[in-house]
Amino acid sequence: MRNHWLITFRSVTFAQHAQKELQREGILCQLQRTPKMLTSRGCGYCLRLRGVDALPAVAILQDEQIKYEKLYALDESGTPREQAL
Amino acid sequence: MIYLDHGATSFPKPPAVSKAMLRALETCANPGRGGHRAALQAMETVYRCREQASALFDCKPEQEVFTSNCTHGLNIAIRTLVKPGSRVVISGFEHNAVTRPLHLLGARVTVAGRKLFDPTDTLAEFEKALSKGADAAVFTHVSNVFGYILPVEEMAKLCRRYGVPFAVDAAQSAGMLPVSLEKWGADFIAMPGHKGLLGPQGTGILLCGRSPDPLIAGGTGSVSLQQAMPSELPDRAEAGTLNVPGIAGLCAGIQCVRRMGIGNLLSREQRAARECVRMLERKGFRVFAGEDQSGTVSFVPTCDCEAMAQRLAQKGIAVRAGLHCAPLAHESAGTVETGTVRVSFGHDAGSFQITLLEQVLREGKFEQIENYL
Repeated sequence: MRNHWLITFRSVTFAQHAQKELQREGILCQLQRTPKMLTSRGCGYCLRLRGVDALPAVAILQDEQIKYEKLYALDESGTPREQAL
Repeated sequence: MIYLDHGATSFPKPPAVSKAMLRALETCANPGRGGHRAALQAMETVYRCREQASALFDCKPEQEVFTSNCTHGLNIAIRTLVKPGSRVVISGFEHNAVTRPLHLLGARVTVAGRKLFDPTDTLAEFEKALSKGADAAVFTHVSNVFGYILPVEEMAKLCRRYGVPFAVDAAQSAGMLPVSLEKWGADFIAMPGHKGLLGPQGTGILLCGRSPDPLIAGGTGSVSLQQAMPSELPDRAEAGTLNVPGIAGLCAGIQCVRRMGIGNLLSREQRAARECVRMLERKGFRVFAGEDQSGTVSFVPTCDCEAMAQRLAQKGIAVRAGLHCAPLAHESAGTVETGTVRVSFGHDAGSFQITLLEQVLREGKFEQIENYL
């Protein structure tokens, strides 16, 4: 699971906005439900990035002022580890 | 039927609207409530509409709240800006969608600017009222009765200068005149989806320059463990399942508007309105007309206005008579007693409609209509 990431959002609209902006910049990502264990307040959506560096993606979201919640890296077993932003 | 009641709702809708609605019914589940294909399809459908609207109204997709109509959006805006006893400045041409919520809240209302088609007076009176102190301002972009285009950009500047939060009622202007959340710096702009945006009834958009107080609370598909409504827009003001088929139709309507071009639509409607004014004046009616006029024309007939509208309907011409849910506007124009007949043009405006209206007026023997139906 090298370079696999999850970016979580509190609102699906933000997740969709983020997806469009990233795709516009050539960063492919998939919109999906946030795994239950990552939703401290219950229910949400996240973007899954595969085989790319997450930092440029996060930078784009910051530039576009799109609110995201957290960034997770998926380890070899697919377990998410929160990354400091 | 010759349809001249676009002020009530645009009709007929472009075929793309019903096609999009049908497609949504057949392919979309609940947006924001699941991760399966039909839920994702619904989310994509809704988001596509947000993108179309954000391109038209200079805002971010998440600044748009889908509402069931313009009144719904105005209620959210007004309940956010106005509290019992608040001092609120409004124009003399407001719809009941503005005045009734203010009345319900017990606001102290100042009506500023009552002269029709006189933007200089509107601005002077508006500034005078703001300078005396106000907690909020709410004003319409275009009078639904008379088609008077208020100088909203300048009114917005005045509000910002006096530090007064404000909401704009774009019921008659969205899709016809430029409307910009960013340029106006508005706190809220409310609009219906089913008028100038050519979408279906039961749709509307509230553009939010700030976070609104939720009018209703409930499920949003997000942060479910939290009992307070989410702080993020649009979830904060979109409790419950969205009207996905309606939003799909609205998206198709907005796409049509963008293809036709707002400037083109406006000039087409204004050209028809001017021609209509000349024709009605030749007939000797009291017609309300001015420079800053949209595609809406009101006139006072020689008989009861409802009787005239009824007779026109029998002849296949659809107009609207009475007070148009805007008694304040009629008060300003001095037509509360008589009401008016309103002719409102839309995206299909053309000379043939006026020719047919004139023909019916000529043959209708309206001078013989009794003042009852």
